[in-house]
Amino acid sequence: MDLSVLILNSLNYILVLILVAMGLVIIFGLMRVINMAHGEFFLLGAYTVVMTDQAGLGFWSGLVLAPIFVGLIGMAIEYIVIRHLYQRVLDTILATWGLSIAIKQFIIILFGPAGLMIKPPLPQMVSFMGIEYPSYRLFIMAVALITIGLTFYVFLKTDFGLGARAVIDNRDMAAVLGINTRRMYRTTFTFGSALAGLAGAVMGPLMSCDPQMGLGFFIPAFLAILTGGTGTLSGVLVGGGAVGGADSLISFIYSPVISQIVVFSMVIVVIRVRPQGLLGSRSGR
Amino acid sequence: MKLRRFNRVHILQLIVLLIFTLFPLTGNDYLTVQLTQYMVYGIFAMSLSLLWGYAGILCFGHAIFFGIGAYVMALITKGMVPGFTGFLASTWIGLLLAVVSVAFFAFVLGYFLFYGRLSGPYLGIVTLAISVILERVAVNWDYIGGFNGLTEVPALTFFGWEVRDMYPLFYFILAVGLAVYLFCDRLMRSPLGTTLAAIRDNETRAEFFGYNSANYKILIFCIGASVAALAGALFATVTEFVSPTIIGFGFSTEVLIWVALGGKEVLLASFLGAVVVRILEAFLSDLLTYYWIMILGLFFVVCVMFFPRGIFGSLLSERK
Repeated sequence: MDLSVLILNSLNYILVLILVAMGLVIIFGLMRVINMAHGEFFLLGAYTVVMTDQAGLGFWSGLVLAPIFVGLIGMAIEYIVIRHLYQRVLDTILATWGLSIAIKQFIIILFGPAGLMIKPPLPQMVSFMGIEYPSYRLFIMAVALITIGLTFYVFLKTDFGLGARAVIDNRDMAAVLGINTRRMYRTTFTFGSALAGLAGAVMGPLMSCDPQMGLGFFIPAFLAILTGGTGTLSGVLVGGGAVGGADSLISFIYSPVISQIVVFSMVIVVIRVRPQGLLGSRSGR
Repeated sequence: MKLRRFNRVHILQLIVLLIFTLFPLTGNDYLTVQLTQYMVYGIFAMSLSLLWGYAGILCFGHAIFFGIGAYVMALITKGMVPGFTGFLASTWIGLLLAVVSVAFFAFVLGYFLFYGRLSGPYLGIVTLAISVILERVAVNWDYIGGFNGLTEVPALTFFGWEVRDMYPLFYFILAVGLAVYLFCDRLMRSPLGTTLAAIRDNETRAEFFGYNSANYKILIFCIGASVAALAGALFATVTEFVSPTIIGFGFSTEVLIWVALGGKEVLLASFLGAVVVRILEAFLSDLLTYYWIMILGLFFVVCVMFFPRGIFGSLLSERK
């Protein structure tokens, strides 16, 4: 493989990883909830596309539907389950874990355990910088970049983002100052789920969609958060870049198994040396 | 009042012991064989209860210890480790090395995790990631059987006596289970158990009292891992078979569900959780096929939300 293709593929993976990790870190930063079902939201996004593809509606309607559909499911889950567990942080992990098992099994019942392929929506190759590259991968990168940029805009420039950052910094103080934390939680969880759904939808055509694919993104995304730190949004960029980049590079040189071991050991060392993450401040938890 | 509660728990414990002791007399050979295996799962569940319920360490990848224990046992007793022949390939050495190597692994891991100030959710995901990776390693490592695992693991052999027949094996596992239970129960009533409970309830406060919480957590992590390894080693000999699934993510999930449903704060409740869920699974998974896991997952959510102490937990607990 050409070096530039390798770099582009890595970039592709990194951007999608950041998209997944960003949903996780927003939910965790704001609500202190580790959403173990995040991988399954990714899965649901991908299977939304499978569904529209099978129903003859095509990929593009699925791409639009996936974040909406998954966001609604996230909202429902927040309302039915997570809302009741805000006082018991550890239990939210278990509850979302139980949900992830149920969702995964539901997908297996509906679609079977085997992998399903989605018809490639943009089969053409584009040539630029002297290489041939699949246009769909460029499209993914564009979608991911735009979404990441928009998320940063929302969190750094809007009133909602100001409120959200206030909640992240000091939840009680924010509540005292009149921010409706409950509503903020629901919005956040919905938004985070929608991000995972979108990531799943764009990645669907690249991989074969099987019920285990969610876990394959959830774990690296979480490792990325650990590496980057949870206090700031930009930590995700660093963490996602480090984990995703190292993973693609080592998989290319050696094998995916070795790369998993190396990346994982790397993360463990980072945690040991800088428990607050690469970008986290000392006061961060 | 206190005395009566105390008595009730003891009576229930004796009833459970009696049921298990007398079970083979029912003559249901199929269930006896299955129950032998389920009791091994029960021992495994107790080791997780030790970490999770008593010390507050939520370990999402507990199958790593079980799995490593099982693989070490299988490799040693099959004589596949170079230099380990004769007595060195016996059941004794197999059990010993399974437990010791896992304890060492847990020590190194615990050192990194607990001194890295990892707690709660982080710890869970990190152990989860390890189990996913180890499963992939086991699948890709041909020497230890790859995807198919290792078959024909020799039965437990003590002084030339092979524990292979149904009844001796059943009572042997029951005896080990009882011993593990008594050991863990005693341990949790010792000053160590009290310290761990203090750390679980309020780590900062315990540290202000001068306890090095990381050291205590590493210690209990090693103990829990060793018990899991013992269960794994027994599993390898009882089923005569090890495969990558027992080291991986799915099995880690299963044990977590058993313990949560049974009651993580009580050893016996966790044990019963494992046995009862497996018995139900044996009957219901034919009936409900794919739906069984989905129902189990949703039931787990309900249990976490409304019965955080599990089904048997409050029944068998001495505390209110």
